Amino acid sequence: MSQRTERRGIHVDQSDLLCKKGCGYYGNAAWQGLCSKCWREEYQRVRQKQIQDDWALAEKLQREEEAAYASSHGAQTQSHTQSTAPQTHPGHTSLGPFSKFEEKKTNEKTRKVTTVKKFFSPSSRTAPKKETQEVRTTSPSLSRHASFETDQVSKDFVDFLKNLQKPGREIHKQCRAFIVNMSGKKDLGADELSECVQDFYQSMADRLMSHYKGSSESVEQVMDQVEKYIMTRLYKSVFCPETTDDEKKDLATQKRIRALHWVTIQMLCVSMDEEIPEVSENVVKAITDIIEMDSKRVPRDKLGCITRCSKHIFSAIRITKNEPASADDFLPALIYIVLKANPPRLQSNIQYITRFCNPSRLMTGEDGYYFTNLCCAAAFIEKLDAQSLNLSPEEFERYMSGQASPRINSSDADWPGAGQTPDVVATNPVLAQLNHNLELLSSLNSRQETVMEAAQSLQADLLSWPQAVKREVQEILEKYPLQILPRTVSAIDANNMDNENLPPPLTPQVFAG
Amino acid sequence: MGENLPRVPGGARLRCDTLGRPVQTLRVKMVLLGGSGVGKSTLAQRFVKDEFRMTTPTVGCAYLTRVVHLSNVSLRFEIWDTAGQEKYHSVTPLYYRGAHAALLVYDISKRETFIRAQVWLKELEKHYIEGSTVVWLVGNKGDLEEDRQVSVQEGQGLANDRGLFFIETSALSGDQVSNLLIDVAHRVYECTGAQQGGLSEWQEAPLGDLHHRDTSSLMTSCCKVGP
Repeated sequence: MSQRTERRGIHVDQSDLLCKKGCGYYGNAAWQGLCSKCWREEYQRVRQKQIQDDWALAEKLQREEEAAYASSHGAQTQSHTQSTAPQTHPGHTSLGPFSKFEEKKTNEKTRKVTTVKKFFSPSSRTAPKKETQEVRTTSPSLSRHASFETDQVSKDFVDFLKNLQKPGREIHKQCRAFIVNMSGKKDLGADELSECVQDFYQSMADRLMSHYKGSSESVEQVMDQVEKYIMTRLYKSVFCPETTDDEKKDLATQKRIRALHWVTIQMLCVSMDEEIPEVSENVVKAITDIIEMDSKRVPRDKLGCITRCSKHIFSAIRITKNEPASADDFLPALIYIVLKANPPRLQSNIQYITRFCNPSRLMTGEDGYYFTNLCCAAAFIEKLDAQSLNLSPEEFERYMSGQASPRINSSDADWPGAGQTPDVVATNPVLAQLNHNLELLSSLNSRQETVMEAAQSLQADLLSWPQAVKREVQEILEKYPLQILPRTVSAIDANNMDNENLPPPLTPQVFAG
Repeated sequence: MGENLPRVPGGARLRCDTLGRPVQTLRVKMVLLGGSGVGKSTLAQRFVKDEFRMTTPTVGCAYLTRVVHLSNVSLRFEIWDTAGQEKYHSVTPLYYRGAHAALLVYDISKRETFIRAQVWLKELEKHYIEGSTVVWLVGNKGDLEEDRQVSVQEGQGLANDRGLFFIETSALSGDQVSNLLIDVAHRVYECTGAQQGGLSEWQEAPLGDLHHRDTSSLMTSCCKVGP
């Protein structure tokens, strides 16, 4: 009995393996027992519902706010307007204090409410009013149906704020309003945009600080979320904006790095030995990280990529030198990595981080340190000249113009063919590996040849041996020909002389029995 | 001390003294400048090594932190090592932007490093803002007394001329290193810590100062969110 139950515990019924929806396909525990097709449908449904819920919540918030607003519209708003009017800069984006936001709304109530509401309500797509359309045309990134990523971030943000309850709503409202406001400021220069965002961070942080009564841990948490949400939303419009020459600089840097492809690890005096597999692994990881930076939207995530890249470089140096790396080792290594990686839109990314990252993170702390190093590396590459690589100006010119390549020329200036191998080995680990394999192959080849020779000689030996034996036998046969001697037959006692003296042989006697 | 303690406004952290009163921890950015091979990184490592509890083991010693406790405040030093090679000279201003303290290190047994230090100093003075950065001239490798090429008087003289603080240390033996750190801590706190917010954060340009003042006063009046 007990045995049976035990067995049942382990036993999996055929029906357990099938999709829970009963479609006849097999299910999977990772998809909550559904088959891939049903799971996809189910997942889509849940996600849609979640998004709709969020919209609904946002709309509800908006309605609540309107109601509260209408009820207190009388004396309060009037006094508000009066007290705060002098500080209003209609063109200024900083929505700092909530009171200001409300006051501002008094001025442009109708416009704002419709705009914001349009935003919140899912039906906004069907009934565009004049104002909304204006906003929409100025900011495609906002009006366009949000991409998966922004969707996800908005959802996370709402989830996060739900835990904060009432202040969460306020934060949400402010952020939305800020984004709407920013969408109208696309024509501003990058510095002004940066200022708007920084002002917003500042006022938000101040507010949170007073709300949490000094617990900057929670403030930082909220600020991180706010930064994530806002910058994901604004990314398209403020990253490498048309008003700046960021793009031009990007292209220039990229071209420059490409022109410097010939720079070797030795010229930069980098203490990393890429022939050690662990080191080259770290180098590859560092390159991947720095390239990945461009794919992130949030400044803090970008900083994270830089930090990870730097950590890999430190590991690589540590493995090579067997001691912790100092800045003297680190900066050249980072420059080398940047040259190798040629990270996409390097200048734009640096500018973007400088403009829109939460400043407390940028100028101090570990992330700040690595970011500063990256800025240094970029600046160094821009200014890089013959002297910084310990080359003569003529050499540098020749390499830059592509007339010569240091990998071939350094060992033998005139004859690239001569002495090429050791140099190539020294400069490129892959080539070194290749060379090594070639050597191995050639040694194998020669060994095989000796084996073949030996085998052939053995064969020859084998062939010649029976002949030699034959010949030898022949020779011996010739030397000692077979002689048949005449045969003499004689009786045993033929030579006996005294036969006559012998007694007569015994005759058998018969005894009668 | 206190990597995960709660913080007070402006990025500072809370520590409690014996009576349970909170003590602020302020962030201090300290940059190490000086030619290659004068012992900057050894000095930085020495700063950190003296601490009771080692900070998280790092693979590199280019960025290190160390908390120094003064009587009424704690300072969290963020020590930035810089590349000393001459070819990187042109990019180093990026490092000392916003630094509260700068240590100008030279090797007393190598005259050229002392001359290099003066070059660094000139560069530093271009970006130097009165009262915001405390600059210290540090003659390192004090243990190499027999090879001395730069006398104490010379070092002290340069420091006096330029209004710097001066000390000779030995990163190898640890001589004077902790004294230096304590001195720097006191000086930094006196110079910048007293002005509220001077230490906790730094911005390249003051962003709309007037505007901020307005908002902060308003904020308290309308702050009806939260419990």
